[in-house]
Amino acid sequence: MDTTFAQRRRRDLIVAGCLAAVAALVPLFVKDVYVQNIMVLTLMYAALSQSWNILSGYCGQISLGHALYFGLGAYTTALLFTKFGVLPWFGMLGGGIISALIAMALGYPCFRLRGHYFVIATIVIAEIGLLLFHNWDWAGAALGIDIPIRRDSWLTFQFTRSKLPYFYFALALACIAWLVTWWLEDSKWGYWWRAVKDNPDAAESLGVVVFNSKMGAAAVSAFLTAVGGSFYAQFVSYIDPESVMGFQFSLLMALPAVLGGIGTLWGPVLGAVILIPLTELTRSFIGGSGRGVDLIVYGTLIVLISLARPEGLVGLFSRRRKGAAR
Amino acid sequence: MPLTAETIIQSLASGLLMGLLYGLIAVGLALIFGLMDVVNFAHGEFLMIAMYATFFLFAFFAIDPLLSAPLVAAALFVFGAVVYLLIVRFAVRAKANAGMVQIFSTFGLAIVMRGLAQFFFTPDYRSVTHSWLGGKTVSIAGVFLPVPQLVGALVAIAAFGALYFFINRTDFGRALEATREDAGAVALVGIDKNRVFALGWGLGAALVGLSGAIMAMFFYIYPDVGASFALIAYVTVALGGFGSVFGAFAGGIIVGLVEATTALILPPSLKSVGIYAVYLLVVFVRPRGLFGSM
Amino acid sequence: MTITRRNVLLGATATAALLPIAARAQTSEVVIGVIYPLSGASAQIGVDAQKAFETAADLINKNYDFALPLAKGEGLSGLGGAKVRLVFADHQADPQKGRAEAERLITQEKVCAIVGTYQSAVAVTVSQICERYQIPFISADNSSPSLHRRGLKFYFRAAPHDEMFSAAMFDFFDALKKKGQKIETLSLFHEDTIFGTDSSNTQLKLAASRGYKVVADIKYRANSPSLTAEVQQLKAANADVLMPSSYTTDGILLVKTMAELGYKPKNIVAQDAGFSEKALYDAVGDKLEGVISRGSFSLDLAAKRPMVGAINEMYRTKSGKDFNDYSSRQFMGLIVMADAINRAKSTDGEKIREALIATDMPGEATIMPWKRVKFDEMGQNNDADPVLLQYTGGKFVTIFPAQAAVAEAIWPMK
Repeated sequence: MDTTFAQRRRRDLIVAGCLAAVAALVPLFVKDVYVQNIMVLTLMYAALSQSWNILSGYCGQISLGHALYFGLGAYTTALLFTKFGVLPWFGMLGGGIISALIAMALGYPCFRLRGHYFVIATIVIAEIGLLLFHNWDWAGAALGIDIPIRRDSWLTFQFTRSKLPYFYFALALACIAWLVTWWLEDSKWGYWWRAVKDNPDAAESLGVVVFNSKMGAAAVSAFLTAVGGSFYAQFVSYIDPESVMGFQFSLLMALPAVLGGIGTLWGPVLGAVILIPLTELTRSFIGGSGRGVDLIVYGTLIVLISLARPEGLVGLFSRRRKGAAR
Repeated sequence: MPLTAETIIQSLASGLLMGLLYGLIAVGLALIFGLMDVVNFAHGEFLMIAMYATFFLFAFFAIDPLLSAPLVAAALFVFGAVVYLLIVRFAVRAKANAGMVQIFSTFGLAIVMRGLAQFFFTPDYRSVTHSWLGGKTVSIAGVFLPVPQLVGALVAIAAFGALYFFINRTDFGRALEATREDAGAVALVGIDKNRVFALGWGLGAALVGLSGAIMAMFFYIYPDVGASFALIAYVTVALGGFGSVFGAFAGGIIVGLVEATTALILPPSLKSVGIYAVYLLVVFVRPRGLFGSM
Repeated sequence: MTITRRNVLLGATATAALLPIAARAQTSEVVIGVIYPLSGASAQIGVDAQKAFETAADLINKNYDFALPLAKGEGLSGLGGAKVRLVFADHQADPQKGRAEAERLITQEKVCAIVGTYQSAVAVTVSQICERYQIPFISADNSSPSLHRRGLKFYFRAAPHDEMFSAAMFDFFDALKKKGQKIETLSLFHEDTIFGTDSSNTQLKLAASRGYKVVADIKYRANSPSLTAEVQQLKAANADVLMPSSYTTDGILLVKTMAELGYKPKNIVAQDAGFSEKALYDAVGDKLEGVISRGSFSLDLAAKRPMVGAINEMYRTKSGKDFNDYSSRQFMGLIVMADAINRAKSTDGEKIREALIATDMPGEATIMPWKRVKFDEMGQNNDADPVLLQYTGGKFVTIFPAQAAVAEAIWPMK
């Protein structure tokens, strides 16, 4: 059992390495900026969904308020840069730390809540954040923050036309989020979480340590999400409360993991690779009709996938593997 | 704004009326959750459909919302049952991640419904003009009470009363209650679980239908109108305690009052913060809401 | 996704991607991108806009006898009669999506110019992308004053912005005061997105500098389920003039709630948006007799300039609605852009930009009450005189400024 587990983990690592290497080569052949843009978004959502999956999938604390951390990351970076000239790289770190601290402060009272009470608590906390930013004049309030375009530079992480730097950053972020998840699966925390899932009574005896591990998961998840937010601010170079902290964003972060397979290593990646191009393409090529057809197609697919593959699309792969093993 | 007795009373009165309506919108959600632990993320879109139904009955057949309310409720009853049979039935059967599957299958449904509404009804803003009660208002000692909301509040109270009677005093109500407690055992005594659930969804949707008909008297209608009410409905239900019909009633009143009074203290653009803060305070003290039963 | 071989080949040399893309476009047709919200909460605006742009394209591509640029003759004469083709894209009110769509239109659809966007937040990102690709952008109907002050070279706005609109309102108040009306206090009522925030900031500044007292400045959450508390505060303040900056949804709810709470404002002078939409007057028009809204268009111009009525008729056959403040600005946005392309005799971004800078279109050649279309160094047309319109007897009449007015203002409103 242990050997197969270790084997599987080693194989996962090798597969991930190969995929990342292949992904890194893709932009050398695909030069269309529109397609590159979709690839950047796909990687970004893969990273975000992977981070979300740590808290909500593995740890079982379903959060629909991760837009809060995403927005905090984006705002910290943009505010530090436009108001104080602090380079976005420090903003990224700062935003991540702030978000992690806030996630722990919020986790303390919230982790006592169960099921939908927890979910709704995360939603309303993010909404409170959104409303506060909407009314905070110093942070631009509704006007948002327009990050001025200067010349291309890695220092300010700004590139006028090229998507490649953003692509590689997003790829790196997705890889880091994946590696953190991979590492957590085999850590003490990972074992506790599985134990709690398999046997809720074990939660009682493990009470304190499990609680602490949840706080840890919240902090890691929030940190990575905030880095994603910082990235988004640099990538789009304009942020406003609605577009970085809106409820829709929380759902968009959860969707890839849910469709791909919640609480699985590969689910968020798979989900993002399918969902994000689908969203973008339906909007671009049927959205222009103005009749809502893109919404109908997109919504129908969500319903069908979640009904037909409740364990997520990764189920398709594991089933085949099982078949092959037999 | 000067805090005179009059403004405070007006705020409380308006908040109470709005709160009863929030309660009526939310109770269908509470009922469905209590029955089968499912949260319908398309609840706001059910409301939207009900408002459109009221609008079209008015526009094409000149049926006043007051008269069409039962028709709309009946139509939504059928709609709710069909949604259960076509989608939710399969979602609850999911072996893995049942909670997430429910959330996202109903969420996907919400998107489809918005798209369909835009496709068939166009994104134009509609309103029911010149209904019998629309725009009428009564004034008691300087406090103004709009008639549509007043009627809505009365309907809400009546609906809660009827629902209470229905659940506790009728055979079907007992079947609902029994199925909710132990779906496996009721199958042994010959109750078809799916039928009970479908009827439960129908009933929940019919209650949304009722509130939609009332809302149509004073609110604008467009494909995304449900979004404004959906979050309030979830918070209302959770505040009162999931599964508790009385909780939804109390939750609605509290939300309405808190919203109205927050606007007296904070800038109105922050009035929802009051609702959210009260929700958090309540669940931090009572993790199952005010009247949560589980 | 269509990764055609041509795209791949083009991309094979890195420099190819850096060439001005428009230069490669064919000139038998001129492709112009149009970015609007075509789904989501403000889809209605986008769908109406589509009709306005199609009307404009029709005028350009077919032969009409109007004094409007490009109406006579088919297509763009400067480009050998090339036809204008529009490509619509949906930004769903999301700045990131607007940005991605602008990039797609430029690189895949090879548009040589872009017109948009309704939401100011989206105009920020779309104009940024246009700047990066050196493609001219016309902000047809965004009224946020901050947009043209960002030092962008490819940004143009033929229509007035909120400061011009609000200044017109205060000019109007000053004029009324001279005639002996009492206007001392104002109530501002505005939604919390860019539009409302910008509008109220401007109005606060103007009120302070011209000596009006703002007795209530109420910011509310857009698409609120209830505006009771907000209206109560307006009622308590009971200013001489109520100045709402609201979109259609909130506008309808505001008017209904005011009636329900027994508040009859002495006067309403609205910052357009919802208050120029047919849907609002269909819903609550009976309560709005005498309401004044700023605008940049008025159908009563048709009496002086018959083509306004004729073009409005064309739009109405497509959309079932009359031109309003938005659709008319959208229409003019495309005409101004196409006129520049025609004079540039090229689809090259830089050449079109030069032609836009050289634009000098007399007001009579537009469907608007503007003096003329001429851009300043920031790309703003300062000669787009806004008008104030009063809603009486089921339609709008121009009441200010004097040279455009067809009727005296009814003040106070009924």
